[in-house]
Amino acid sequence: MSARPRGRSFFPLRCRIFLLGVLLIFSGVGILHAQDLPDIPKPVPVIVGGSGFITEIQGGQPLLGPLIAPVLLVPIGDKWLIESRVTFEANLVQLPGSSAFHGQVLKSIDYAQVDYIANPYITVTVGRFLTPFGIFNERLYPIWIRNLQTDPLILPIGVGPSQASTGAMVRGGIKATSKININYTAYFSALSTYQPSNVTALDSDRLAGFRAGIFIPDQRIEIGGSFQRLLQDERSNLFGFHGGWQPQALPLELRGEYMRSARGSGYWIEPAYRLTEVPFWQYAMRRTQLVARLQQYWVGAIPSDILPSVNTREFEFGVNYYFRDGLRAVSSYGRQFSSAGNMNIWTIGLTYRFAFPLGHGDVN
Amino acid sequence: MKFKRHILAGLSVLILGGVLCAAGQEQTKLADSSASSADADTVPSPSIASSKAVHEAAAARYEGEKRYRANCGRCHMAPHKYPPRMMATIERHMRVRATLTEEDVKYIVRYMTE
Repeated sequence: MSARPRGRSFFPLRCRIFLLGVLLIFSGVGILHAQDLPDIPKPVPVIVGGSGFITEIQGGQPLLGPLIAPVLLVPIGDKWLIESRVTFEANLVQLPGSSAFHGQVLKSIDYAQVDYIANPYITVTVGRFLTPFGIFNERLYPIWIRNLQTDPLILPIGVGPSQASTGAMVRGGIKATSKININYTAYFSALSTYQPSNVTALDSDRLAGFRAGIFIPDQRIEIGGSFQRLLQDERSNLFGFHGGWQPQALPLELRGEYMRSARGSGYWIEPAYRLTEVPFWQYAMRRTQLVARLQQYWVGAIPSDILPSVNTREFEFGVNYYFRDGLRAVSSYGRQFSSAGNMNIWTIGLTYRFAFPLGHGDVN
Repeated sequence: MKFKRHILAGLSVLILGGVLCAAGQEQTKLADSSASSADADTVPSPSIASSKAVHEAAAARYEGEKRYRANCGRCHMAPHKYPPRMMATIERHMRVRATLTEEDVKYIVRYMTE
């Protein structure tokens, strides 16, 4: 067991300053006349989440992926929320010489956090939280939200080893003017190598960062940027930009991200078009969505285990069909180009979103 | 030099906190003053008051739907309505997850629970 050098704190000075700042902001809350929410009903504990069954054929190798990811939401009083997402999934593959699919169920605690809504502009979060670098990991990752079931190539950049951080975060949304909202997130994560026996790793990197963005509701335009400082290993800086646009006049969604780090860089752009305006077969067409994603990745100076090892380009095209709210069929075809070999990527499956109250209490 | 950088970082955090706190107080003051000035107006007759209430409810519903489509549609297809107390929990979750403003949350919950 290694002893800590005398006179040195467990937390370095920068970390202490950050925590002190968070604490001061937190304590400043008492000064504010926080706006009550009399018109919002008293919340009850709820389980929401998504499930699905996705079949992926990558380079001719089929992979069956049943998945369920419930999110537990427990509100306490007017300002607290305990939330946690657990994912149970299996990656079933064919073993050589066998036509049957084999695999085991993987269990992971994606996040387990406590949120305190300090005032209209500040929410403080502690615990294990999804690293807010870019928007995909935090907002677009769930199986029932994502338009294409494959991950963007650059997803591992900036989100840590298991896409989560362990520490504290301050965040909020502010109405800057009548036409512009500002949102921000600042966070610090400690190094964790915790590896429980019955779930996948609960590890995290030592890092600090922030993300800020503006949202123009009338035009439905969102742009923002992320910055992160890795406080271990090569101690490098990472940055990224994200954007989204849902024009009022068209049933179109356009999203994209660019990220740059010492371990790799890249971008993805994803347009999605709902066929609500097609004049024929309207019952089916208004439930149909066409999606495409164009992405490119460049390797960095420092090798990474979780990013592609060579420069890669990929194009995907998908068709989703919404049977009803929350239940949809998804399908896509993609072609990946790299010096390691080109390959086709097919996906087909079903996704479902669910929500139900926890217990038998009054929900009305 | 290093110490100076740490001090600057600390000051930046404090300034950010101070600005946010001040903004919070200012917003609350504005809301209070507008509420008291509304109280000071002459009391309208019952029919005018009821038509005003209907107009306000319709305006709030329109605003709620607009904000619901703009904010929820940033990431996913618009969900259907859930019972009010479930909706309040989900909106609290979304307020944190999607950094929605408090005003947006109020309008959206009101619209989704009507």
